Amino acid sequence: MEVHSRDYRDRARRIITETPEVRESVTAATRTFVDNRREAFADLDEAALSGWAKEVKSHALTHLADYLEEAETRLVERGAHVHWAETASDVHRIFERIVEENAVRKVVKAKSMLSEELALNPFLESCGVEVFETDLGEYIIQLLGEPPSHIVGPSIHKSLEDTRVIFHERLGTARDASPEDLAAAARDFLRETFLTADLGVSGGNFLVAETGSIALIENEGNIRLSTSVPRIHVALVGIEKVLPRWADLSTFLQVTAKSATGQPVGCFVSIIQGPGGSAAGEPDGPEELHVILVDNGRTRVLADPEIWEALRCVRCGACLNICPVYRQTGGHAYGYVYSGPLGGILNPGLVGLEETLPLPFASTACGACADVCPVRIPIPELLHVWRRRAVERGLTGSEERTALGLFASAATRSRLFGWAENLAGVLPDWVIRRLPMLREWSDGREPPRATGPTFRELWDEGIE
Amino acid sequence: MSGDARERILGRVREANRDREPVAHPGSLPEAAEPPAPLGETGRTDPVGAFEVRLRAAGGEVVQLANEAAARSWLDEFATGFETVSVCAGVPDALQPVLPAAPPEEAALGVSAAVGAAAQTGSLLLSSREGRRSQLLPPVHLVWVRAEDVRLTLGDALQSCREDLPAVLALHSGPSKSADIGQILITGVHGPGRIIAAIVGG
Amino acid sequence: MAPQSQGTGHPCYAYGGGLSTARRHFEKPAQLGWEHHAARQLPGHCTSLGPMRVSLFVTCLGDRFFANAAADAVRLLRSLDIDVDFPPNQTCCGQPAWNSGHVPEALQMATHTAAVFAKADYVVLPSGSCTAMLRCTYPRLLESPALAERSYELAEFVVDVLGVTELGDGLAGRRIAYHHGCHALREIGVKEQPLRLLESAGATVVPWEMDEECCGFGGLFAVKAPEVSVAMADRKLDTLPDVETVVSADGGCLLQLDGRARRRGKPVRFRPLASLLWEARLGSA
Repeated sequence: MEVHSRDYRDRARRIITETPEVRESVTAATRTFVDNRREAFADLDEAALSGWAKEVKSHALTHLADYLEEAETRLVERGAHVHWAETASDVHRIFERIVEENAVRKVVKAKSMLSEELALNPFLESCGVEVFETDLGEYIIQLLGEPPSHIVGPSIHKSLEDTRVIFHERLGTARDASPEDLAAAARDFLRETFLTADLGVSGGNFLVAETGSIALIENEGNIRLSTSVPRIHVALVGIEKVLPRWADLSTFLQVTAKSATGQPVGCFVSIIQGPGGSAAGEPDGPEELHVILVDNGRTRVLADPEIWEALRCVRCGACLNICPVYRQTGGHAYGYVYSGPLGGILNPGLVGLEETLPLPFASTACGACADVCPVRIPIPELLHVWRRRAVERGLTGSEERTALGLFASAATRSRLFGWAENLAGVLPDWVIRRLPMLREWSDGREPPRATGPTFRELWDEGIE
Repeated sequence: MSGDARERILGRVREANRDREPVAHPGSLPEAAEPPAPLGETGRTDPVGAFEVRLRAAGGEVVQLANEAAARSWLDEFATGFETVSVCAGVPDALQPVLPAAPPEEAALGVSAAVGAAAQTGSLLLSSREGRRSQLLPPVHLVWVRAEDVRLTLGDALQSCREDLPAVLALHSGPSKSADIGQILITGVHGPGRIIAAIVGG
Repeated sequence: MAPQSQGTGHPCYAYGGGLSTARRHFEKPAQLGWEHHAARQLPGHCTSLGPMRVSLFVTCLGDRFFANAAADAVRLLRSLDIDVDFPPNQTCCGQPAWNSGHVPEALQMATHTAAVFAKADYVVLPSGSCTAMLRCTYPRLLESPALAERSYELAEFVVDVLGVTELGDGLAGRRIAYHHGCHALREIGVKEQPLRLLESAGATVVPWEMDEECCGFGGLFAVKAPEVSVAMADRKLDTLPDVETVVSADGGCLLQLDGRARRRGKPVRFRPLASLLWEARLGSA
């Protein structure tokens, strides 16, 4: 996927001013997620749970090579094809071969954020393959030609009315169709598509090393269908998705669902060990299973001593939901696959700090995200690491550096500091409106009232 | 190409971890952190009662049937609401509705036999060995489960399947649902919009 | 009236505060000399050791924009028999530099601040986020917990160190909303202390569904992403209950919310906690 993160401020401004309904939709949806999540954790020891989950994922990451090999061995034993891909173009070549060898014309896709990283849809389309997103939210935004706005609820920025309009145009539903009618129309169309597709693509929430199992959580049943009905199933799995033991899986399924939507577990979970059908002596299911283990920047993150913990992420989206910054814009402002606090820590690691620069700064460091992370990623600390590096690499602009340098040197000379404070107090409005930073402030807010004596002056006069 | 990629990726992973202190696996989950199963209507956490509470909360339906005879007579009544059925391999003859068979994509009702269930999450464990299409394509899904196969925790239920895993072990824990259209909850999007767990025995 | 802190050091949860899980850089301060301070928490010891001495760190925003509130903090502490001094060389704690990634500049300011307050028994700040800077960031920036363990936000100091939970009844009949600054809330766990002092003085703290949500200030964030920052302030203001006054221990948040409310012509007063606490106290006279 192309990276547009550098335009964060501009994209955010346009969303807020030009499509205010996005802010309303995103805020409402994320607040529901947050409320449900809170309720889901009310009756258990969340700290003990997240502490355990953190340790398991850290253990998996610090033993990652062994576990990947173990998972591969198990999958191959069950007749799966395991591929390794360093980059998006590696993945494209693997797909190209599968598509050619099997004369694939139609692909159904279950939601996969990794496939967004890899720009898989445009690639498959360039091979002459029809690609259909089957998650209802993904389907809506595919019709609209938009990327997902949220890793769990890809269409949370869209209202009922938005869906009515696009379904009316594309599926011929009534202009005032009920949500049920809209869903039924999508179901009918996609049902036919499932039954005629040659290949299904999924992601993978977890890869259990001990059993070589790929676990997928969902609510609609489209993942089960995508991985069961077509003759070929291709699973895209980030190498960081490993869980060591079969016994770890049940808790991770629950902690992810609880954190994401507040459900005890998703309505459907697929735990896939290998191909089905005659290959497995089973009545149906895909004859071929291809598992693509994808790096695409993950080893770079793993090698980073200050950032590697970001790879514990289970993609529950809790940090997005709680983030007051994310809530104002939804995910599109962030200009890359991952948005919100997660985007701020992961995108610079995956695609480079220069390309994603403002994202680590797109946060007030309020810390709410760290409180809800089910694997205790110290998100604000990691954001700070990227901020520090941005400054060290001179990426934040000389203006800011000069201003802060002056501020710091004034701050170590109290008289100069006092003088500067007094100056700030007497600046006329026309000056304020022209100065960088002060100008940005006063576009939407009245400047602070800085009249009257400073405390220092009050103290010197004597406080009664 | 893939072989080289494999070596390079694994090499980078090992290199990345070379100087990192390995983190030990914490072992089993502390009891306090185990998500509790709900109390059943009896006020106790008996697995079957808790399972019923959980699955109902997710929008599923549950019937408890004392024995196979009771199951049979309930089924005969239940089946009158359907025109056709698609029955998974492995459902005992006695628990198959007397209805015309249809392919899964056309049948009004799909019937499965679960390999287990978990009260903690209200999950039915379904094996792909019985065939997946009948589990997924009909709009209504009836699942037989034996009372003694209902475990309290999902961990226990999964552990009981550990030694002989099918191509897919699936958990069905409610009807298909989505809130992707304007955050309005809709059931029956792609998978079955009705799921009925029929618990036999106990 | 029992102080909440039992001489085990005061909290620096840092992130994950809701989980009460202090993490590696944000461990609670070491026990260095804590017994001395713990002993002084007991009212009986106070008299025997003479009046308690507190150094006020007014903070840069406090000095320029909330001078009267800082003076109220002095009045409040004096009324509680505290000897207050004001080291005149103090400036800024360095948080703006730290948060925006300018570590050397932050270190410069932290070093200066630590030197200014080197001799203080207690450092009290009418600011939650600056207290969090001293308590949670200084130990790793300066590689010393010395200042961290002696620093308190004002309400926290009154309740946890002095063990005072009732200042007076000067707020009887007042309806206010309270904005919890993020760092006060999540880094140093200051939440109940200000509410207790306000309510025991007769104020009704009206429930506000967004009282724990960030106001959008975030230091340089306010000017780096001004449209988002303003939208965040709007969300706070739009959910505000019907109150005359919004109170907070954080100057940055007050400037942000007040600046936006005035631009929108919303008639609400935004006032620093220190002033309300002094008004609470006045009622006892």
